[in-house]
Amino acid sequence: MINILLVCDDITKTDKFHKIFNKKPYNFSILANEKFIADTISIEVPDIIIVDENAANIKNLIKIVKDKCENTIIIFYISGNKVDKELVKYANAFITCDMSEDIILSTININLRMKNSLDMLSNSNKDLADSLYRLNALYSTSSQFAGTLDKSKLIQYMIEGMDKALSFSLTCTLSLCTNEEPVLILNSLYELSDELITALKLRTILNYNSLFEGKQAPLDLNAENLKVVKQVKYPASRFTFTLFQYDNMFAPISLGDNFFGCIEIFKEASFTSEDSTCFQTIAQQVSLPLKSATLYQEIIETNAKLEKLERLKSEFISIVSHELRTPLTSIKNSLDILMSGRCFDITPSADKFLSMAMRNVQRLSGIINDLLDLSKIEAGKMDFNFAPTNVNTVIEYVKSALSEVAKSKGLNLITDEKENLPEITADAQRLEQVLTNLVSNAIKFTPENKTIRISSSMISSKDIKINEYFKDSIKLDDGDYVEVCVEDEGIGIAEKDLLHAFDKFAQIENSLSRKAGGTGLGLPIAKQLLEAHHGAIWCDSELNKGSKFYFVIPVVKELVQINVAG
Amino acid sequence: MKKILIVDDEQDIVESLKFVLEAADFTCYCAYNGEDGLRLAKEIIPDLIILDVMMPKINGYKISRLLKYDAKYKNIPILMVTARSQEEDKLIGEETGADEYITKPFELDEVVKKVEEYLK
Repeated sequence: MINILLVCDDITKTDKFHKIFNKKPYNFSILANEKFIADTISIEVPDIIIVDENAANIKNLIKIVKDKCENTIIIFYISGNKVDKELVKYANAFITCDMSEDIILSTININLRMKNSLDMLSNSNKDLADSLYRLNALYSTSSQFAGTLDKSKLIQYMIEGMDKALSFSLTCTLSLCTNEEPVLILNSLYELSDELITALKLRTILNYNSLFEGKQAPLDLNAENLKVVKQVKYPASRFTFTLFQYDNMFAPISLGDNFFGCIEIFKEASFTSEDSTCFQTIAQQVSLPLKSATLYQEIIETNAKLEKLERLKSEFISIVSHELRTPLTSIKNSLDILMSGRCFDITPSADKFLSMAMRNVQRLSGIINDLLDLSKIEAGKMDFNFAPTNVNTVIEYVKSALSEVAKSKGLNLITDEKENLPEITADAQRLEQVLTNLVSNAIKFTPENKTIRISSSMISSKDIKINEYFKDSIKLDDGDYVEVCVEDEGIGIAEKDLLHAFDKFAQIENSLSRKAGGTGLGLPIAKQLLEAHHGAIWCDSELNKGSKFYFVIPVVKELVQINVAG
Repeated sequence: MKKILIVDDEQDIVESLKFVLEAADFTCYCAYNGEDGLRLAKEIIPDLIILDVMMPKINGYKISRLLKYDAKYKNIPILMVTARSQEEDKLIGEETGADEYITKPFELDEVVKKVEEYLK
């Protein structure tokens, strides 16, 4: 039916229109007093309103019509050819008193067709705006999903997203992932009675069980172990059981084998197919970040476990070292006394075996010291006495300490120190430890009549050449460094072993070097000590030609406190 | 003859120290726990004390502190013997007043040399 309203108090005019429109498909009504216009159009929105030019208060009337029903066609009924300019502004068309019935009908029909087109356009626009709004809601929700690894927040964002996109009356979200216990989160427009909550709980449990029909559910859910969290928007009003007559949608929140929960949503108006798509999309979208969050949590837990293990390991090493050291001291002391010949005369063969025992006691004690050092550094408990240090002094000390050993092996130990090296901030004793280790290694692995060379130099970070094996693992700040190089003509290191040269116990794999003695901890300790100095260590080597071990320590112009790990 | 007090709960270590020190013409007194060590120190007033750190009842640091802050005993040199354990690390840095630290395992001859230096 086409609703036509005539605003006119002139009976002759109303009669004329009555004749024309009092038939199908028109639903014709007349308003004689324009004061009641607001009430009239609120009861039934007219498709077309015909206003007599002589009607009182025309402007006010038009304003009300435009406000209340903007798509209504306004046609003025005029007596002559002269038209009020004010009326032209609002008019969709005019009918004059001399028009025949046919012309009036055709004018009306043209305008009706136009109105239909406009209505369609307006509806499409509205749909488009709706889709856009929903798309925006989806977009902002998925951005929120990407921004957090907190499961409770993810569930909250999901519910907020549903509200934005679907404006629900109530959502029942069963979450198995945010707490130790399963939680039913009720987001409701209005207050829920206890009975209704119980009913919703049972309904959720039924929904949940239906998801795992014939299969083992991840959790046995019952009304007792299901905790309820309630969020009510307008607590002044209440939902009744008619809620269950509302339109509803249901979706599980899961990804592969991971089940996080499920969601049911209620709305008084019915859901469209777009609503359903949107609902499913959000429920699916939240699964992936929930999975990431689960993995993230597992990583954190694993890390905590690893850290604890690491600490236990350090403590264990420390305790064991202490327990080993004490009996070792007794053995060593006894050997000392026996070897001094104070108890009896030493035969050559007795001396041989006593020396053997002594050598191995010393070796064992070296291993224990190394283990203890390493566990201390790794636990961040190593104390350093940082002070301005001249590297050349350290080199001289190590040379004098080891030149005898080198000589006894028929090796030539030489130094090549750069003069006027700047001082570095370092623990001189630890540097000696590093350099002693490098030179001892060189002595161990170099055959007779060859040369071992210790050199020092000053170098800028951009000129430091680190070979490709170590490049990636070494990060140095820009600036000047003091570089020390220990070069030998020994057995060298095979290419495949080079990368592991600084790994703990790397030497154990190598039977040749095992014969030479040592713990395999010297280089990893050196590496850690240098890292504590903000420096680095690496090596170049060629099998059967020799090795070059380099280490660098930054030259700090102003003496600042270096923070040691731990 | 100079008197030396050796305090260590490890009897074998006490034994070997006693052997070399007696060979170097010192008179040795031995204690196998902190309590006895402290009592003996006050009783015999030795010329030097060799003191282990980790001992039951009273540890070496405590004994050292008690003696070094007492005018009667503060001039007795104390050689502290340490096994560098974690518990000891926690105590390091406390002001104990010990004159010398010796790390286990140590050279017996070194200890004798040090003792002779202090008692010259």
